[in-house]
Amino acid sequence: MFAHGVRLEEDKRAALKNGIAVLPAPEDLPEPRSFRAPGGGAEPAAILAAARTAGIDDEFDGAPLAARLARLAEEQADLLAACCFDDDPFVCGAQAVLREDAAKVADGLLLAALACGAGETVVAAASRSELRALRGLPKGVAAAAAGNRYPARVLLMRRLCRGGKRGAWIGAQACAALSDAVRRGVRQAETVVTASGGGVLRPANFRVRFGTPVGAVLRAAGLREGVRAVAVGSSLTGRTVTDLSLPVTAATRCVLAFPRLPAARAFPCVRCGRCARACPQGILPWLVLRELESGAPEPLRLFHAESCVGCAACDAVCPSGIALVAAVRRAAALKEAGVPDETA
Amino acid sequence: MRLHSAPAPFVRTETTAVSMSRAAAAALASLLVLPTARYGPRPLSMAGAAVLTCLLCEALVSLARGRRPVVSGFSSAAAGLASALLLPVNAPLWLPCAAGAFAVLAAQEPFGGPGRAPFQPAAAGAAFAALCWPALTFAYFDPSQPYALPALGACSFQAARSPAALLKDGLKPDLLPLDMLWGDFPGPTGGTAALVLGACALALFLCRAAKPETTVCFLLAAAAVAALFPRIACAPLTSVKYELLSGSLLFCAVFLVPGPAALPYTFAGRCLYGAFAGAAAMAFRRFGAFEQGAPFAVLLADAVSPMIDSALFRLRGWEARPYGTP
Repeated sequence: MFAHGVRLEEDKRAALKNGIAVLPAPEDLPEPRSFRAPGGGAEPAAILAAARTAGIDDEFDGAPLAARLARLAEEQADLLAACCFDDDPFVCGAQAVLREDAAKVADGLLLAALACGAGETVVAAASRSELRALRGLPKGVAAAAAGNRYPARVLLMRRLCRGGKRGAWIGAQACAALSDAVRRGVRQAETVVTASGGGVLRPANFRVRFGTPVGAVLRAAGLREGVRAVAVGSSLTGRTVTDLSLPVTAATRCVLAFPRLPAARAFPCVRCGRCARACPQGILPWLVLRELESGAPEPLRLFHAESCVGCAACDAVCPSGIALVAAVRRAAALKEAGVPDETA
Repeated sequence: MRLHSAPAPFVRTETTAVSMSRAAAAALASLLVLPTARYGPRPLSMAGAAVLTCLLCEALVSLARGRRPVVSGFSSAAAGLASALLLPVNAPLWLPCAAGAFAVLAAQEPFGGPGRAPFQPAAAGAAFAALCWPALTFAYFDPSQPYALPALGACSFQAARSPAALLKDGLKPDLLPLDMLWGDFPGPTGGTAALVLGACALALFLCRAAKPETTVCFLLAAAAVAALFPRIACAPLTSVKYELLSGSLLFCAVFLVPGPAALPYTFAGRCLYGAFAGAAAMAFRRFGAFEQGAPFAVLLADAVSPMIDSALFRLRGWEARPYGTP
């Protein structure tokens, strides 16, 4: 009752049912080249070099994996967790990757932990039943269930880091790509993309070559008539695309087709306090909004605005449809610079 | 296929401001069932007239502001229904219309429309009717009389004294407990059926259209005042029974007090607001000129609400004192 986060109705079963389908790459895309693999027993520097050469990007934020691991090594991270779940109600690519080859994900996680010097490794799955079905996790890799409240990534990491540990996430696909790069010298050239949403006939997960047009993924899943919006990235924090020839990248994660646009109309705040309960960072978005609307916002009263992770849980739960994330970002910019950032 | 741009998020939880006001309007409409079965179509025509008046007023204000005449959700409809249900079933048809029009034109629209009003529009409408036409607002038809109320025209009947009026005079109402629960006694159209009101409250709380803490604190405070300072010579629990089940107290507890328009932001603030409104309602009943005090108490609590917020914000360090104040 008093838990942070928000419970969202999930729509993943259909996409998870048939595993991962392979979408043929367009003919004009070049074949990925392999490189000389450092092989088993590689040193941390060799793993980082392999990750760099393979061009591995984390699917959750699109950031280069090698740079992240180097930073974590500098920060002396205690814990590295493989994010094998998607807290988005439509996306399930990470879950499908874990189901397909848990051993490869765990291997990549151990290699990444070796590269950054993290002593503790955790494979985080969507639920306890998902964990029970897991086989082939090597010794020394712990397992954790994410729970069903969004944003589970933030909430679970807080739970894992109890006692002052420094922890970080690494995507399941990035783990698998690192294992492929170190063991077989394969560059990251494809990603698992979930095609879903009310405008899709057959929701599914596709293994897609980078550069494949977003529209090809949607066509493979079957597009209904009357689709009005297509979003990539996430149903909560993603962005709409109007050009379906845009290429799939490591951070695409999903292509969602919606027959209806989200309601653009915002009502006045009904003072329900749901945004504060949903926020995993302890921000009071209603208070931030109230302060900003006062006309003369006092930066000292914009409590914790700078710690916003942009998960949009407050936006999703607000019954009035107020753009609270934008308000909190504006407040964070105000605290940072002393003036509101109108572009936020 | 023409694609549109839109900002995230593309999914939201099911509870929206519109669904909340729709739930409130549906709960209010369900209160019309018993009076309609008891008195015929008159309650329906009164509620319909009040709702139409409110919607028309909202559309006219939109036109006057140079906008397209749109009706925003169910808030105005709920205000109209509540205004009609707080009046006697025998009231002239123009009375709920006047109360509804005042609610929308004076308490809702000048402040920016539904959700922005600092006072509960329906409470303002009911208070307006009580102040301007007390004789019509507190003259109740006795449901035990063998007289069929006309659907639209004026009613000619002998007014009965409501339990709230008897309590005001220090007399004990002579009512069976079952009649009190089903609302088979003189009183406001929607304010007497305690069982239906309880069911409405439960439905609103379960579908998260209203906050229970305000209602609970309102009723607890009213019950405490009734038990500690009974207006009639009886046991404290008997006093609580008659005070809570007579008049519009229960109706206001379910529909007016938890309205989001002027509620404090915090849980503690909402509890204080409810308790203050409950105590004020009993004070209005005891010391006021009218037998009903709940709508006035809600308006008073709405006026105090920003002060409750401010005090709690300062207590929690969310609001700094102005420079120069000790």
